[in-house]
Amino acid sequence: MGAQPLMRIENLVKHFHVRLGAFGERAATVHALDDITFDILDGETLSLVGESGCGKSTTGFTLLNLHKATHGKVIYQGKNIVELDEKAMRPYRRQLQIVFQDPYSTLNPRMTIGEAVGEPILFHKLATKAELKDGIATLLADVGLPPRFASRYPHELSGGQRQRVAIARALACQPKFIVCDEAISALDVSVQAQIINLLLDLQQKYGLTYLFIAHDLAVVRHISDRVGVMYLGRLAELTSREELFDNPLHPYTKALLSAVPEADPAHERSRKRQVLQGDVPSPLSPPSGCRFHTRCPVAMDVCSKVVPEWREALPGHHVACHAVTEGISGTGGLPG
Amino acid sequence: MTKTNTSERLLDVKGLTIEIETRNGPATIVDGIDLHVNKGETLGVVGESGCGKSLTMLSLMRLLPNKIRVTKGTAHFAGRDLQTMSNSELRKVRGGEVGFVFQDPMTSLNPVMRIGQQLAEPLIYHRGMNKAQARKRAGELLKLVGIPGAEDRLDAYPHELSGGMRQRVMIAIGLACNPQLLIADEPTTALDVTIQAQIVDLVKELRDRLGMSIVWITHDLALIAGLVDRVAVLYAGTVVEDAPVDDLFARPAHPYTQGLLASIPKLSDERASRLSSIGGTPPEPGRRPKGCPFAPRCPLAEAICHDKVPVLESLVSAGAHRVACFVAQRKLEAA
Amino acid sequence: MTVVPMATTDIKEEPPVSLWRDAWFRLRRNRLAVFGLGVVVLLAFTALFGPYLTPFDFLSQNLDARNMPPSLTHLFGTDDLGRDVFSRVIFGTRTAFLVAIVVTAIAVVIGVTLGALAGFFGGWLDRVVMWLTDMTMSIPNLLLVVVINASLKSPISSWMESRYLATLNPFYRETIWVDFLLVFGSMALISWPPYARLVRAQVLSIRSRPYITAAQALGLTNRIILMRYVVPNALGPLIVAVSAGLGTAMVLESAFSFLGVGVNPPTPSWGNMISDGLRVWQHYPHLLAAPAAVLGLASVAFSFLGDGLNDALNPRGAK
Ligand SMILES: Nc1ncnc2c1ncn2[C@@H]1O[C@H](COP(=O)(O)OP(=O)(O)OP(=O)(O)O)[C@@H](O)[C@H]1O
Ligand SMILES: Nc1ncnc2c1ncn2[C@@H]1O[C@H](COP(=O)(O)OP(=O)(O)O)[C@@H](O)[C@H]1O
Ligand code: SF4
Ligand code: SF4
Ligand SMILES: [Mg+2]
Ligand SMILES: [Mg+2]
Repeated sequence: MGAQPLMRIENLVKHFHVRLGAFGERAATVHALDDITFDILDGETLSLVGESGCGKSTTGFTLLNLHKATHGKVIYQGKNIVELDEKAMRPYRRQLQIVFQDPYSTLNPRMTIGEAVGEPILFHKLATKAELKDGIATLLADVGLPPRFASRYPHELSGGQRQRVAIARALACQPKFIVCDEAISALDVSVQAQIINLLLDLQQKYGLTYLFIAHDLAVVRHISDRVGVMYLGRLAELTSREELFDNPLHPYTKALLSAVPEADPAHERSRKRQVLQGDVPSPLSPPSGCRFHTRCPVAMDVCSKVVPEWREALPGHHVACHAVTEGISGTGGLPG
Repeated sequence: MTKTNTSERLLDVKGLTIEIETRNGPATIVDGIDLHVNKGETLGVVGESGCGKSLTMLSLMRLLPNKIRVTKGTAHFAGRDLQTMSNSELRKVRGGEVGFVFQDPMTSLNPVMRIGQQLAEPLIYHRGMNKAQARKRAGELLKLVGIPGAEDRLDAYPHELSGGMRQRVMIAIGLACNPQLLIADEPTTALDVTIQAQIVDLVKELRDRLGMSIVWITHDLALIAGLVDRVAVLYAGTVVEDAPVDDLFARPAHPYTQGLLASIPKLSDERASRLSSIGGTPPEPGRRPKGCPFAPRCPLAEAICHDKVPVLESLVSAGAHRVACFVAQRKLEAA
Repeated sequence: MTVVPMATTDIKEEPPVSLWRDAWFRLRRNRLAVFGLGVVVLLAFTALFGPYLTPFDFLSQNLDARNMPPSLTHLFGTDDLGRDVFSRVIFGTRTAFLVAIVVTAIAVVIGVTLGALAGFFGGWLDRVVMWLTDMTMSIPNLLLVVVINASLKSPISSWMESRYLATLNPFYRETIWVDFLLVFGSMALISWPPYARLVRAQVLSIRSRPYITAAQALGLTNRIILMRYVVPNALGPLIVAVSAGLGTAMVLESAFSFLGVGVNPPTPSWGNMISDGLRVWQHYPHLLAAPAAVLGLASVAFSFLGDGLNDALNPRGAK
């Protein structure tokens, strides 16, 4: 793993302004992303996990400048790319790609697979028209599809095949960095493993960096170098995958891990889960202080008043929680 | 539990075949499914999307959409034939003796009706309660499924509830008339892991308290590991393996089940090691291969597999463990 | 171990089908749509070649055979000048198609351009276009057309007349083109707003589809996204609207002719034939029945075809 940061995300904020009520009479703000800071290292797979609506996709979209950031910086190659306009952004677009959850709706139904994969090649002038056919065939081969698929339409492909096409399309740009937004969540179990293997192979072959957004912790544990846990628009914890799964510090991470079922009947039957009570609060009016305090089993008075600081509690282990902070100041360090 | 005879079977489906009209004539979607649920038993039905899980369950209640028909097979509930019973009798079974929980709680709840009314409806219809009684019972049901402030929530509309709460309401509706059998079609697929854990624990607790049978449909093997007694694995519209849950996880016999279990990432895996995966994709309905439906993807396939269809058989040596695979059957016989 | 032979029917591999081929397949299964298509094709053929096949010239008068009822020589009878009604109806088909196609084409060009720009770029452009659309739609159509025709027709004719006298260029004698120009122009002017609204709504919904975001993520320009992603996907509903719009334009033209602001005699149009026939329908019902029936048939055929296309292009639960 290269230790150089590929991208630095500093105090990134994304608010959506929406209108509520039957006639849109009430203006409101969705706090989709509030003040998140982290690095993405060159060549790593960084995963983001968390419950639906916690801001994982918004993070991916905002750091690719597909949503305009409300505040904050995304430093890539020495430039803050979130303040660039579409035109200035174009050279970076090629290097920064995204693969979406639903491979059906992200392919133009009127374009053949060949056209869809060839388009970015021609647009970014990565090959001449004469070389195009070979280029498409190579890309399709990279993602494990036979060349005859070039003349097919998306509706003639299965879900897994479409996701392969979406990956081929991202690869066509010869990117450095790919956001995989729930890229395997919509696929069948037996096909998921194929796509995970494909992503791993491509990472090795082309030295790619992934931001892997997912909610399946078993998959995340399998492919990540580091994992970030999000809750209601904020990062709760971010560290290496070993550290996160063996030594979770944040109460929310602990609850999340305990909710994941294991494929082992005896273990599952005897297991005592720490089940969280209640639902995720609305991002329209997030709780004050620590956003997890309404469901946190170890919440203290300070939690509802003061936003816990995002700090490096242990080397390479970031967490935002008052209890963790106090635990450390009380004992002079947590066991590693 | 392992020894079954027909009399204690609550639900008994034999050779159920479902076809759909296509432009090329009828195509088989569900091909001779054999399933049964014993009294007090929880059955997990596992299979990938499109393998026919939902249609099988809908067909039991004669709720199939247009152009899709049952062409062969029988289905009995508590000894009564579901296919031939009169409509009025069937209506008593639907929502009365058999409760349903659907996959998507938003689209299966009526968006313009208060949840209290939706809960009261089956009570008034099946139990002959009056409005006041039904409302009181509806409040109890909401409390049963763990909705905080249950009585106040009776007048809420579905969109005012979160996804997890809506699914709890769906479960409450399914349970309204104390059914003998609850059929839950991917009841947690649309939910988050922490909410999913809440729902699984809730259903477990309700089952132990009310003593009903459950059919839990899912594509997630790990999810049902701690919940069910027996698992039926579906592939391309047929049951390929049917075994007690511990047996299935410890000794999966069918190559498809083996592949499925192997493709779940394990705690012990190296980071970024290759997962074992099943090549190819499931056949589309109507394009099922000749012979064993899994043959084109099967690492163990032999000549006979491309020619003949293996039958789901229970082998003496394997007890209640049934499998539809030539190779697995041979191995079990030899053992 | 028991082995049963393969029971399910073996369905052979189909070649890949495009969305349009799929739609064509679905259309063919819809009987009403096939009927509509058949009639439209027949009428289009008549419009193209009919005038060469008619038994009589549509202008040739036979004052000995006036107001004759239908017979073998004159299938639809003759009118008050002894002209063959069948030939006139056939020639009227050409007028009807000409009007319908040109009017719809102009309306579609205006409507699609304004609608697509408004939907894609939004903001003030959207507001201006929508205001224009609402304005146009709020003025009573017939009133607008009558006013345009009444106020422009005579000045243009007299200007043409004076040009002819000055230049002796025969072009200026062809007042029939002025007729058509005015009819087409004013009809197109009231026909574009529905297309603009439809396309704007389509574009608004397509603009939020994930594949548009995916295209933006590839760095493609707005022009490419509009041309290759938005417009082709908005085409289906537009085709439906155009098909129905052609029928509407024919009816509209007849209504104008009926009011005396449409195509002028002696050029046969179904509208002015209906208006002539209406005056004498108690005595010579065939003079009204023949053009009215054909107009009705055409209008119904176009709307069946439109409905059929709608179903064919919007497969519910497409695979
Ligand atoms: N375009 C938008 N307008 C308004 N609110 C939005 C928009 N996009 C996202 N949000 C809101 O921002 C929050 C974060 O959304 P996001 O899509 O990032 O969640 P997520 O973690 O990816 O969830 P999921 O797993 O459901 O995809 C949610 O509350 C969502 O409703
Ligand atoms: N209304 C329908 N019309 C056409 N095909 C359908 C319909 N419902 C289901 N199918 C098809 O039937 C097969 C099985 O569907 P289903 O029982 O819903 O599967 P599952 O619940 O396992 O996802 C799938 O191939 C699906 O596409
Ligand atoms: S800050 Fe307080 S409420 Fe938040 S996670 Fe830590 S202990 Fe719980
Ligand atoms: S019958 Fe043959 S093809 Fe089918 S699963 Fe068994 S070994 Fe594989
Ligand atoms: Mg998302
Ligand atoms: Mg289903």
